[in-house]
Amino acid sequence: MIKKYCTILLLIIVYAKSTFAQEETANSILNNVYLKIQKANDYSASAHIKVDLPFLKMLPINAKVYFKKKDKFKVDSKSIAILPRQNFDQLTKMLADPTTFTAMVQAKDVIQNISVTIVSIIPLADTSDLILGRLWIDTQNDLVYKAQLTTKTNGTILTEYFYSSQSAYGLPDKIIFTVDIKKFKLPKSVTADINNTKPKEETKEKQGKITVVMSEYVINKGVSDDVFK
Amino acid sequence: MFLKSTYNEILKIASKPRSYIGIAAITLIISVILLAMWLDGITYISFITAPFEQSLSFTGNILNGNLMAFIILNMLIIHVPLLIAFVTGDLISGEGAMGTIRLLLTKPISRTGILLSKYLAGCFYTLVVLLWMAILSIFVSKFLFGPGDLMVLKSDGLNIIQAQDVGIRFFYGFIVAYLALIMIATLSLAFSCFSDNSIGPIISTMGMIILFTIIGTLDVPVFAKIQPLLFTTHMAAWRSFFEDPIPVEQIRTSIIVLFVHIIGLLGIAIYKFNKKDILS
Repeated sequence: MIKKYCTILLLIIVYAKSTFAQEETANSILNNVYLKIQKANDYSASAHIKVDLPFLKMLPINAKVYFKKKDKFKVDSKSIAILPRQNFDQLTKMLADPTTFTAMVQAKDVIQNISVTIVSIIPLADTSDLILGRLWIDTQNDLVYKAQLTTKTNGTILTEYFYSSQSAYGLPDKIIFTVDIKKFKLPKSVTADINNTKPKEETKEKQGKITVVMSEYVINKGVSDDVFK
Repeated sequence: MFLKSTYNEILKIASKPRSYIGIAAITLIISVILLAMWLDGITYISFITAPFEQSLSFTGNILNGNLMAFIILNMLIIHVPLLIAFVTGDLISGEGAMGTIRLLLTKPISRTGILLSKYLAGCFYTLVVLLWMAILSIFVSKFLFGPGDLMVLKSDGLNIIQAQDVGIRFFYGFIVAYLALIMIATLSLAFSCFSDNSIGPIISTMGMIILFTIIGTLDVPVFAKIQPLLFTTHMAAWRSFFEDPIPVEQIRTSIIVLFVHIIGLLGIAIYKFNKKDILS
């Protein structure tokens, strides 16, 4: 009888320890990623934004992107620019406070021929906007290659990161956002599109992609606060 | 003699108070739209972008002069034909009602010449109304709201056209819109040849536009075959210049249909006017 209880106790201790160790590993992975991103105090870059969304047609546009610690971020464009609500800095904001979530290593995967670790993030507070996060992280270089964030306000957005010239700062050269778009329908009285007799499309939700190619990074050279006004 | 007669007809149109009702109405409507957008345009824009708002954010000047011009043209292009018919429907019947048609026909110019000179004067009036609308909708809007990319509003999606590409599309759009208004002018002129009072042709033109618009809007299979033949279907062809890619074949078809209507109705008007008994 005592032997049986001892076995159960031992199993509980082993499970708890492994969970704690896993959480600790996940937190250290995320911390390393955060430290890498933090190397850039400020930056500006040119962005070429290509939008490929259902119900929306537009040519690619050029914009200028500005970032300054702690959380100042701006996309400046003469044209109409469309970007996901979960913006470039969403990840940084989330990783900034590790006490708000619990993280655990989930599995291994290969992305862009690089071995990555999948880390899941679950918020601790019920009031948190984040529902669930999954990050595909290259632990060798502390780079996030893919992120899937589900939030209450903005739904689920899958982000893929491609690195090249600025990988030392954790800044990507290309980002592909995949977003869910609801059926778009405006009353004909608003659009005055009374003679549109094209066949109606299905009312399903659809996915769209926004590709942002970043170039001409200027890092840690100072960005004026006036830019963000 | 023909040019002189045309000039006289233009003067006649210019001297009638009713000719200014259309211009005044357009000025008032555009002013109201611009004021409303100036005060609460953001709400209007958020209504349009709402389906995307959960996952996407829009940056840049969406509420700009180009969008205002597009909204104004969308709203007015349905009503301007009625304002045009108000003047062109009176061209022949008005002479009959006033009893001046007998005197007019004593001029050393054929009946066809008189009709065509009235028609040309009507086309000139239509051009003036359209240009006035263009000035108010494009230039005043741009002055008030500034330039920017055009967000084309469609019932099933949005097209965003870059600012440098918008001007030329408006130019071609106005040409096709002018052709559509000329068609209305021809229709009301043809009705005018059948009547000796002004109200009949104007009401008939309005009635036909309303009837054909309703038929064109109803998604009923029985109307599907006749919808492509209705002139009201092709009056909105100017919008096609704001699609991407531009449906050239569709625009060409619309232009051909409008031209066929114009030539046919003008032929009917000439025939009827030449055969018309002058009793007043």
